Amino acid sequence: MTDKKPKVVGFCCEKHGMDSAVLAARAGKLYDASVRIIKVPCTGRVDGIHILQALEDGADSVFVLGCLEKNCYYDTGSIEGRKRVEYVRSTLADLGIEKERVEMFNASSTMAWKFPEIVSKMVEVAKRLGPIGKGGDAR
Amino acid sequence: MKARIQVVACKCCTQAPPLLDMNDIMSVVSDRELVVSSMLVDGICDSKNIRPVLEDARNKDVDRVLVLACQKKDFSPGLLAAYKRAGINEFLIEFVDLRDEVVLPHLGDGKRAQAKAETKAIAGLQRLLMLEPLEKARENMRTTNVVVLGGGASGRRAAEVAAAQGAHTIIIEKSGRSFKAPGVIMPNSSLTGAKGYGGNFVLTIKAGEKPEELECAAVVVATGGGWTELKGPLAKACKSSVPLYQLQEQFQGGAALKGPVVIADTPDPAGKTLAVQDFAWDETLALATDIKRKQPLEEVFVVFQEMRAFGLSELAYKEAAELGVKFVRYDRSAGPKIDPQEPTKLSVKDLAQGDVLAIPFGTLAFAAIPANKDNQAIADALRIPMSPEGGVRRGSIQRWPVSTPRPGVFVCGSAMFPKSKETAEAEGEAAGLLAGRFAMKGTIEFGGIVAEVEQEKCSACLTCVRTCPYEAPFIGAAGKAEIRVQACQGCGMCAGICPSKAIELHGFTDDQIMQETRTMLGGDF
Amino acid sequence: MIVAKRKPMAEIAEMVAPYRKVKVIGCRSCVAICLAGGEKEAEALASALRLKAKKEGRKQEFEAFVVERQCEKEWVKEVEDRIDDSDLVLSMACSLGAQTIGDMYPKKLVFPALNTGIFGVPEEQGVWSEKCVGCGNCIIHTTGGICPIARCAKSMMNGPCGGSANGKCEVNLETDCAWYAIHERLKLQNRLELIEQVSPPKDWSTSHSGGRRVYVREDARLTQHQKKGREAVR
Repeated sequence: MTDKKPKVVGFCCEKHGMDSAVLAARAGKLYDASVRIIKVPCTGRVDGIHILQALEDGADSVFVLGCLEKNCYYDTGSIEGRKRVEYVRSTLADLGIEKERVEMFNASSTMAWKFPEIVSKMVEVAKRLGPIGKGGDAR
Repeated sequence: MKARIQVVACKCCTQAPPLLDMNDIMSVVSDRELVVSSMLVDGICDSKNIRPVLEDARNKDVDRVLVLACQKKDFSPGLLAAYKRAGINEFLIEFVDLRDEVVLPHLGDGKRAQAKAETKAIAGLQRLLMLEPLEKARENMRTTNVVVLGGGASGRRAAEVAAAQGAHTIIIEKSGRSFKAPGVIMPNSSLTGAKGYGGNFVLTIKAGEKPEELECAAVVVATGGGWTELKGPLAKACKSSVPLYQLQEQFQGGAALKGPVVIADTPDPAGKTLAVQDFAWDETLALATDIKRKQPLEEVFVVFQEMRAFGLSELAYKEAAELGVKFVRYDRSAGPKIDPQEPTKLSVKDLAQGDVLAIPFGTLAFAAIPANKDNQAIADALRIPMSPEGGVRRGSIQRWPVSTPRPGVFVCGSAMFPKSKETAEAEGEAAGLLAGRFAMKGTIEFGGIVAEVEQEKCSACLTCVRTCPYEAPFIGAAGKAEIRVQACQGCGMCAGICPSKAIELHGFTDDQIMQETRTMLGGDF
Repeated sequence: MIVAKRKPMAEIAEMVAPYRKVKVIGCRSCVAICLAGGEKEAEALASALRLKAKKEGRKQEFEAFVVERQCEKEWVKEVEDRIDDSDLVLSMACSLGAQTIGDMYPKKLVFPALNTGIFGVPEEQGVWSEKCVGCGNCIIHTTGGICPIARCAKSMMNGPCGGSANGKCEVNLETDCAWYAIHERLKLQNRLELIEQVSPPKDWSTSHSGGRRVYVREDARLTQHQKKGREAVR
């Protein structure tokens, strides 16, 4: 466990992803302030390098939140997002870095409960695993 | 030319409930170079507050704006329009949603919320400085044609409503039957290909010997369900079995039905064909009840996997049972079977009793409707997705219930999944309205947040061409990928996947995304 | 890159003699760069074959054109009409292109005009030397960046052999001994201890000896949903 404040990054699509996060907030749900939401038009826009760079820049865990695959605003965007996340996860696992630091989630705009659950999970991962490695401070 | 930034913050969004000290944030942000105007306003949506903000923007020659408030879609359209009139490019207005992303979710965590809000404001400012002005463009729609595929109930209604909007409708009907509808009807025709994008499609229609090209602004898919097809072992064993709607027609036409009448859900209980729809249940109940009323001595069996009585359907179920309709519920593992040697007997294990019943029948009908097998060809031609059950799939529900993911292509009726005539017609009305209005817009607007290929970096590997759902990327004359901006929806899938990093999405470039991430991670909260 | 070279003219001429309408299809990719099957070579070959046909009094038609990359279905599809119109397709791509056309149109005859080839490095304009055999398990980090499988006549894992003399290979005095080169390179890099390490016999299962190989990037594959029918790329 680490007592440093955890840093979680969430790449959220501007459609169902952000809609569910905003709905959660407006429904009075609270979530940990550790999360940094980065908006993208679609999770298909997310490149592996965005996730890897986020980890390099000090994120302890990173999630990508897109539409439900059967209901993606851009048809196949969240399918693409999932593939990118999978690639990063397997790369990390091959290097002995915990792949649970990076995860793909899907939600629809009506799922008010989902975003706080996601944040909670990723904050727990960040706290439990701590920063990657001991040497070299994040920028 | 150096940027000249106006920072506008809304007290209403950011200080109700009072969690943030906005004065503090404003002073940190305004202290930055290039911020020439900074205004903390009571409530931006109040029109009286627009004038001072605009005046300051004009006086200070502002060219871009940072808004610390809510989401763009909640923002005052009046102020956005005013900024536009003042000459500020709409893509140089950056929104930081402090309300939904900081204030509301971090109530009770004031200190962290303050630091986070400040970091978000700074990140927003940095992002604003990295944005470029973008222009939208227009293209004329070459026609006001709305092509409706299918002359059934929903298709005819769609054509009527689209025509009422002023569009010129063309119904492509695969059969030779005649019917009344506005515009042009092309019988014995089908769609074999489609090029272009919403507003300017070029369809290939097969109507006789040579294929014809047909330009249109919008397409409505109303090809219906596979009404005439019965597939599955039960239908095979009993050649005289009919789909439910045919039995309805016979009965309503006055024919006396040979009893006992058995209405089963699907001719393929163990298979993968279409799951039973609500439509099938309601219509079955209605017909069973009618038969019992008219021919009370006739035995009527309803053999279904589920008795789908909910809502008011419960009353119909009750009435049918009271009239003596016999309901047999079965499990897939011991579903109904017909021995081809005895094609007038249906044997099925009744879940309630646990016994295997042998039901002799005079008439056998199936309520479930398989998907129209032509739908696959139509979907392929239009490049729209299919549902797992074989119907045409809707787009995300955020794009309205009768749209497909492809702009300009709409879908209604049983082409999606089987439904009653009334529902199909209502959907036809919706699709016709959307298609008609779209076609009558006269121009397509595009551009802004769209992708662009840096030709020099492109390896012509075809990855973007294969990935884009809208067919925006194509290989141009130079042998490199280019983006057909009219079709680009600004999702950025191509930018994310390009192996040569040759594609950027305006407004969401790699640098912009990674800089924002970096700044946010640098914030101490 | 893949380097191929044109088959001997006599062989090609004999191959195409029985066919009336021949489409000579080149490729703008690897074979163009190694001057074997690009637009220039395709046109030249078609012209030469026309002359041959004229000389021997045969009625033959040779049409030459290129596709962007002959191993990609989308690009081959663009010339479908011309393929359909042929009695013979003479492919001037590497065998990958020739086979792609054959797989797409199994009823049509597709003959290779080139012999493929090598993974070759352009040493100088006009000279391509083989430096890789695609063994599937690269070890050049242990050999100073020089591949012994490709460049040693015996593909030795621990060299040199007794036939190495004056830095040349006994098989062909003009060929450099790869292991001599490796030794010199490692010496330059101060890593000579590597040459003393004994490498075990090579596991050839990753090479073609292990059977036909297929490389997959799972995350790049399109789902069924994404693979909707797509028209020609333009």
